[in-house]
Amino acid sequence: MFSRSALRSLAQDLRLTTPSAIPSAPLPQRVFLHQAASLRNAQPQSSTQSSSLNPDTPLSATPQAQDTQPEIQQGFKAPSGNPTTTPNTPADTFIPQTRNHIPIEKQPVPPTFDSPLKVTQSLMSRLPHLVGQTPHYIVAELHARPYLLTEGDHLRLPFLMPKVKPGDVLRFNRATALGSRDFTLKGTPHVDERLFECRVRVTGVESEPLRIKEKTKRRQRHVKKALSKHRYTVMRVMDVKVKTPDELLQEGTQVVEDAEDSPEIETRA
Amino acid sequence: MPVQALRTVTAARNGVGAFILQCKRLDFHYCDWAGSSRGMNEFLRQNLPAFAREHPQIEIRVAPRPRKHPIIRGHFVNGKDKTICVRNLEPSDILKQTLLLKDASGEKLKRTKKPVTSTNDSVRGIWSPYHGDLRGV
Repeated sequence: MFSRSALRSLAQDLRLTTPSAIPSAPLPQRVFLHQAASLRNAQPQSSTQSSSLNPDTPLSATPQAQDTQPEIQQGFKAPSGNPTTTPNTPADTFIPQTRNHIPIEKQPVPPTFDSPLKVTQSLMSRLPHLVGQTPHYIVAELHARPYLLTEGDHLRLPFLMPKVKPGDVLRFNRATALGSRDFTLKGTPHVDERLFECRVRVTGVESEPLRIKEKTKRRQRHVKKALSKHRYTVMRVMDVKVKTPDELLQEGTQVVEDAEDSPEIETRA
Repeated sequence: MPVQALRTVTAARNGVGAFILQCKRLDFHYCDWAGSSRGMNEFLRQNLPAFAREHPQIEIRVAPRPRKHPIIRGHFVNGKDKTICVRNLEPSDILKQTLLLKDASGEKLKRTKKPVTSTNDSVRGIWSPYHGDLRGV
């Protein structure tokens, strides 16, 4: 419930302070808490945030998830330090406002790219065709199971995902295929996660009806009944987006010569 | 001309844009006299204030239900409700049942075999024998 409570506190702050104090706050805040990256908000290399978590790893040209951070945190500190605003939250209700308030296991994992994304020339030349044709589908993998997803789909995982709450946003970063009506980008075996964005929102937990399996042994009247009632995490796909070549180049993607095992966009026969 | 029902123009897809928690109200019923409410009464004193503070979007009602077992009833956005009897349960177990109602969608429990359900049209289109290349046998 971090996002909701944080958004709420943000809204309260916004009501109290002038609009100019926090520029364009609500969306980046949600983005901040859930490692959701928006390229529009992406800033060029800011070392303050990423250095604390993963100092040695040279990040890719744009580690998007981290880039919005420093600005946001300043935006949050400004109203709290402002004497005109009154703290409207009681002391016992704790609402996380900066990254330091969130436990380490809930924080987004920083990307561990050791080199910028390399895209072949043929892929770069055909990518606009794929990007321009909507809608898109993605074959995202989670625990080695593929899920074919489009925007707005309802996803019921075959397991209960730990440590998530309704309202949390997850980003699927492993895909075997991305496609539109006529084009498919196939991974070898996976598509690089910097080529696309796929976000899902946890909407709750569902359960199956109670199942009763009757266990019998021969020549025995006794029937043992095994009960099972599993719980499943339910999600909704928020967006499936393929990045445009311009966005890729902006992130510092290198265009290289074609190779044998590089992913390619296939056209439908 | 037969009477036609109003058609829905859009289908609700909670979570794509905004997200609304489906549990909108929780009713806690207890009994002051009966022993099966002992855990419930302790839960109402110890745990419920913190739970209510963490979930301001859920309306919480506490009402006595004399000479009956304690229950929790959750009301959901889709108009349905779910009731759980919490007789003789410890406060920690009652909290688990409360969280179950909070996370639930209010729908009837169903056994599904496919993980993904979609209302969108097929991205790749429907196969047609009259289009595309002719393949040799």
